[in-house]
Amino acid sequence: MDISAAALTKRYGPLAALDALDLEVQGARVMALIGPSGGGKSTLLRAIGGLELPTSGALAVNGVDPSGKDGGLSWRRRNGFLFQQFNLFPHLTAYRNVTLPLEKVHGHAPEKAKSLADESIERFGLAAHAHKLPAQLSGGQQQRVGLARAIAHRPEILILDEPTSALDPEMTAEVLELIGELATGGQRIILSTHEMGFARAVADQIALIAAGKVAEHGTAAGVLESPREEITQRFLSKVMRFA
Amino acid sequence: MSARPGAQRLLLEAAVGLLLVTFVCALFWWVFANLDTAWEWSRAWDYRAHLLDGWGRTLWISLLALPGSCLVAGLLVAGSRTKLRTVSWFTRGFVELVRGMPLLTLVLIGYYVVFAQKSVSEFFHLDGPEGKIAAGIALLSIFTAAYLSEILRGGLDSIPQGQIDSARAVGFDRVQVFRYVIFPQALRRVLPALAGQFVTLVKDSSLLSVIGIMEFTYGARTYNSATYGGIEGFIMLGIGYLLITLPIAGFAHWMERRFRYTM
Repeated sequence: MDISAAALTKRYGPLAALDALDLEVQGARVMALIGPSGGGKSTLLRAIGGLELPTSGALAVNGVDPSGKDGGLSWRRRNGFLFQQFNLFPHLTAYRNVTLPLEKVHGHAPEKAKSLADESIERFGLAAHAHKLPAQLSGGQQQRVGLARAIAHRPEILILDEPTSALDPEMTAEVLELIGELATGGQRIILSTHEMGFARAVADQIALIAAGKVAEHGTAAGVLESPREEITQRFLSKVMRFA
Repeated sequence: MSARPGAQRLLLEAAVGLLLVTFVCALFWWVFANLDTAWEWSRAWDYRAHLLDGWGRTLWISLLALPGSCLVAGLLVAGSRTKLRTVSWFTRGFVELVRGMPLLTLVLIGYYVVFAQKSVSEFFHLDGPEGKIAAGIALLSIFTAAYLSEILRGGLDSIPQGQIDSARAVGFDRVQVFRYVIFPQALRRVLPALAGQFVTLVKDSSLLSVIGIMEFTYGARTYNSATYGGIEGFIMLGIGYLLITLPIAGFAHWMERRFRYTM
């Protein structure tokens, strides 16, 4: 997985969420973005996922501009995206949340969609909950459905925006374990997270994003164990204080 | 949420229920005991064809104005959401104009100033009583659509951005985002308000009598004058409207339960 960002900028009015960000990633399997809240992790992920059109600068992921000529539609269809707040479709059952995109976006016949959905739903231990509405599921279950939906079409890259920030510790462990399994299975993943232990265990590359720029980028072991930059050292000493 | 009601609660419900029924019965008795005019239900029976004719016309007007108003409302919502500023301003202006006028005024202006003019009625082939009804249905549709479009716009705007993000993320195109994610949720949210507006449409159709459409209210009033005060016609009038409006309300409540997705 290659990511190349050059002077990538995203402005919301006077605020620059991404401020001429530069990043060169080559051959990553799992890439983790860490850093303070409001530093630009989510915006970068949304740009990488083709959900956000940068104000200026260049971005290429595996050689593709995510918000390319069709406004990013074909890119979004190739990849999977998971949100912090689950964002399941509340009017559809867990099952339909997974099958509807398979049918309407990926053009699978209902039977094929069903078998693909069954596969990912069973994999995440959701068979007993498949016919419930999101409101009837716990946060952990909802996020597992979100994960099932994001991987059902076998995405090239799975993009996870703080996938466990809205979950309690037990559910967090549950969801992280599944993400770990996906990574072990060879799934290419970019995620933002505040779970440093998880980032260390799963990611091979880590970038610390702060104030809309990449403060430090390197191997997971390098960034977490011997950070070069002062801002990384301060950030890590804060988040690891009670770890 | 509440557990099985206890015996005490049941007793209270029964007592209050009895009190309410007694009160309503007493009220009715008092009203009817003071009537100066006598009931003559046989006259109503004699005029049944006349009354039924008016009721049928009201039913038809409602059944046609209902989809008509939805159609116009759809156009107004699309117009107000388009990226072309001039079109959205124009639509908003139109909606405010229509909502700012009483239906009676709109019907009077719409009919006597526009549709009743010879060149217009000939252009739309609206001469004759059917033409008058068609004009009435069109005016009623436009009036109701102004309200429906505002209800729908509010519903569409209430869908959180996260839903739109999520729909785009799974790969839906713009039309699919609207069709599979925004619209179904918005519709469910505004269903009670829509149902209320549809019921209002049925009742509002009574104002079409001012341009001489012989709908139900018109029928009851002609019955009243033809029989020199046959007040039973007004009771029939109330029942007749309820026969149309209650099923609409019932259907809406069923839809609400059927498509509920919040616990």
